[in-house]
Amino acid sequence: MTLLAAASIGTGVMMLVAAVAALVVKKLISAIIIVGFVSLSASVLFLLMNAPDVAITEASIGAAISTVIFLWGRGKIGGEE
Amino acid sequence: MIRTIIGLVIVLALSAIVVSSVSDYSMPSELIGVGRGYTEQGVNDTGSVNLVTAVVVAYRGLDTLGEVVVLFSASTAVVLILTLIPIGANPTPPSSIVAFTAGILPGAIVLFGIYIITHGHLSPGGGFPGGAVVASAFLLVMLGSNTIPGKSKFLTSIESIAGLTFGLLGFWGMLTLGQFLNNLVLPAGSPGRIISAGIIPLISLAIGAKVASELSGVFASYRKAGGEK
Repeated sequence: MTLLAAASIGTGVMMLVAAVAALVVKKLISAIIIVGFVSLSASVLFLLMNAPDVAITEASIGAAISTVIFLWGRGKIGGEE
Repeated sequence: MIRTIIGLVIVLALSAIVVSSVSDYSMPSELIGVGRGYTEQGVNDTGSVNLVTAVVVAYRGLDTLGEVVVLFSASTAVVLILTLIPIGANPTPPSSIVAFTAGILPGAIVLFGIYIITHGHLSPGGGFPGGAVVASAFLLVMLGSNTIPGKSKFLTSIESIAGLTFGLLGFWGMLTLGQFLNNLVLPAGSPGRIISAGIIPLISLAIGAKVASELSGVFASYRKAGGEK
């Protein structure tokens, strides 16, 4: 197994663990940050799979913009669950 | 508990279907069909070194126009819904770290976004990613301010002009070469130079301006809308 494949599989496993953690975690703000982390890992995965075009889009929209939108939405509905 | 088990069973069943349908799939050893045509002819056909941009803007330009329309209608709907909510109070002031960062970083981010947009035919990127990066700079500006954003005629006029430019560039190909969105109404030039690849750089600029202004408009109306808290 090459180093690249090992890094890809490691990133994928990390994403899966983080995605499950986002579901089971109690605080809403932690879940939002973890979802942002999943998007960032997806961006790294795209980069490892030779798709830099998609990686740029995922990093800017998935990791940055949607995380901030979720955080604003959390502020507007006012509170924790 | 029962809901969890039912959900788990559904997920496992769906995974089994997916695994069984792709288990006999293997990567072909060489490119076939239209992918082979794109990689062999792409640079000659379009003059764009980045084949992803060649496919997105030149070969499948009409699909990209449709994608722009989808984004336009989605952002229009979001802004329409958000304007129904009364304007909220000023947000709480950001922490000094966020305020300081929002004071120095956005310029560099906008510059990087413009780089991604204008070099879409040379390096990874293009109109959509670059526009999103530029919009994220405006997002950072909004995060760093403690007042709600005001009205901007400038933003909506940029958006309209950019969309109109995309359509007119398409009709230019129709008038001169008899094909909507034909790439080679401008010369392809020598691949690898910044002014090359026909109208791909111009379309990238139009898409980038449109995406950046649309997303910024959505952020601004989201920031303005009041809420419970």
